[in-house]
Amino acid sequence: MEIIRAEGVHYNYYNRFPALIDVSLGISKGEKFAIIGSNGSGKSTLLQILSGLLFPSQGRVFFHNNELSEKSLREKDFLRFFREKVGFVFQDSDIQLFCPTVLDELLFGPLQLGLEKEAALERVNEIMQMLKIETLKDRPSYMLSGGEKKRVAIGSVLTMNPEVLLLDEPTSGLDPKTQVFLLELILALNEAGKIIVIATHDLSLVDELQARVAVLSEEHRIEKIGTAEEILRDEALLLKVNLIHEHVHYHGQTTHTHIHSHYLFHRH
Amino acid sequence: MRNKIPPFLLTNPSSLPPERGGGKVSMSYIDKGIESFAGILKEGYAQWESASGKGFFYELDTRIKVVFWLFFILVVSLKKEILPELSIFFTVFVILLLSRVNLVTFYRKVFLLGFIFGFLISLPSSLNVITHGEVIFPVITLPKAYDFWLYHIPGVIGFTAEGVSVVSMLTLRVINSLSLSFLILYTTPFPEIIKALKVLKVPDAFLIIISLTYKYIFIFARIVADMHLAKKSRLAGALKSAEARDWIAGRIAFIFKKTQLKCDDVFKAMVGRGFSGEIKLYQYQKITGRDWGLGFFLLTLGSLILWV
Repeated sequence: MEIIRAEGVHYNYYNRFPALIDVSLGISKGEKFAIIGSNGSGKSTLLQILSGLLFPSQGRVFFHNNELSEKSLREKDFLRFFREKVGFVFQDSDIQLFCPTVLDELLFGPLQLGLEKEAALERVNEIMQMLKIETLKDRPSYMLSGGEKKRVAIGSVLTMNPEVLLLDEPTSGLDPKTQVFLLELILALNEAGKIIVIATHDLSLVDELQARVAVLSEEHRIEKIGTAEEILRDEALLLKVNLIHEHVHYHGQTTHTHIHSHYLFHRH
Repeated sequence: MRNKIPPFLLTNPSSLPPERGGGKVSMSYIDKGIESFAGILKEGYAQWESASGKGFFYELDTRIKVVFWLFFILVVSLKKEILPELSIFFTVFVILLLSRVNLVTFYRKVFLLGFIFGFLISLPSSLNVITHGEVIFPVITLPKAYDFWLYHIPGVIGFTAEGVSVVSMLTLRVINSLSLSFLILYTTPFPEIIKALKVLKVPDAFLIIISLTYKYIFIFARIVADMHLAKKSRLAGALKSAEARDWIAGRIAFIFKKTQLKCDDVFKAMVGRGFSGEIKLYQYQKITGRDWGLGFFLLTLGSLILWV
């Protein structure tokens, strides 16, 4: 059963610059789904449309067979249902963290959903333990490192217990240890039944997640949808959408040229 | 990691969509404010795109355009007769036609602003209470005329021929000033206009401050719009007024901090690229013969209008 469905979605920025052209896809219960493409291909825009933050200029998006539109998201009951079910983690954690302290940040969501303060605090404590951020609870967000901010941003969404977790470039700008932590967390959440949707151009992340993949071209169209293995082995496709490239580097004293993809060649 | 997932995350509460058609969440003043703020980005892109077109006035050197604009604004302010004002209106119209600017969008803006700031504001001055003269359109008839201290209220209050002439003149001058300014804005990207101010001997340091400020408006508008989306993604209903005010206060503090950091970063980037206190802007290339010719023609035309 498809939980999220996009049908012929078009989106233009400032009514001028196309960001998405005729995009259709469906995401099912418990699925891991990755939207990949080069910079400016429209990944983040698509993710924001799927989360009801932007609305297509043409085409329709459905969540549990209910159309997402400005009108439907003004209905109190549907808005609450949708925001409870769908969590969005932004690429820039700074813009997402707006409460005075980490604790307030984590409490914001559950209190919005009408949970009693004790129940909300219990949730927050459990999330803090899972994300190892208990020691940060009284700190303001501007006193956190990049990795800590990302953990808090994810925690602020997880305390709402969403069914769908949308993550925009989740590993960008994070150190390797935090990246591994995040990857394990995403896999564990998916095993716990959450739908994971990520937008990324990191092919190794797609490989690690073994997600179903939609490839966006530089012309802002869906080029192909397939399994991680199908997509990652399709060298011609990855070259066409600019996700791999010709690469020159040294091996000892000799230079060496090949098509470069950390997944296809180095597997690191 | 798997063992550490809290039990509440393994549950799936209220999985059925609600019955549709419940109460509505009204659009808050924050939404409305941020929507119009996001309009700045749209306007900026639209200005840059429309001003980068091809056509007669688009291709003219920006320095010539700036001098043309200043000279003609001066002529508009000095002349007090209808004929020269109409000539300027017609000149701008011909330039627009030759440059293939969209006349409908152009004049819609000019006439709307001209109507508000020219006609409506000056309209009361055409009444015989302010401008004496022959009443051509009576509005109120009083039983008798009244006099107190310096003031004289006539028996018939109405619009005078002299007043109407003054209002038409003022409206035409406002419309001309607006169309000259919009002509420049519609045919020249804003950063080019800033650079061209160099021809008026505006110091480089001042120009770089204007250009950094102009650029920051866009960065600022984008941060605000993104923050609003981030908040929206975690809101399951409408915010109470007090909460909304808290959010705004918190965000103002955040933007202030971020602006300070950005300011430091920009300064470091300038130092890293050789800035040592003295600003040197890129010198314009030479003005071509065609531009000199056109500039001379426009200057002669302006002088003629001034002389008539």
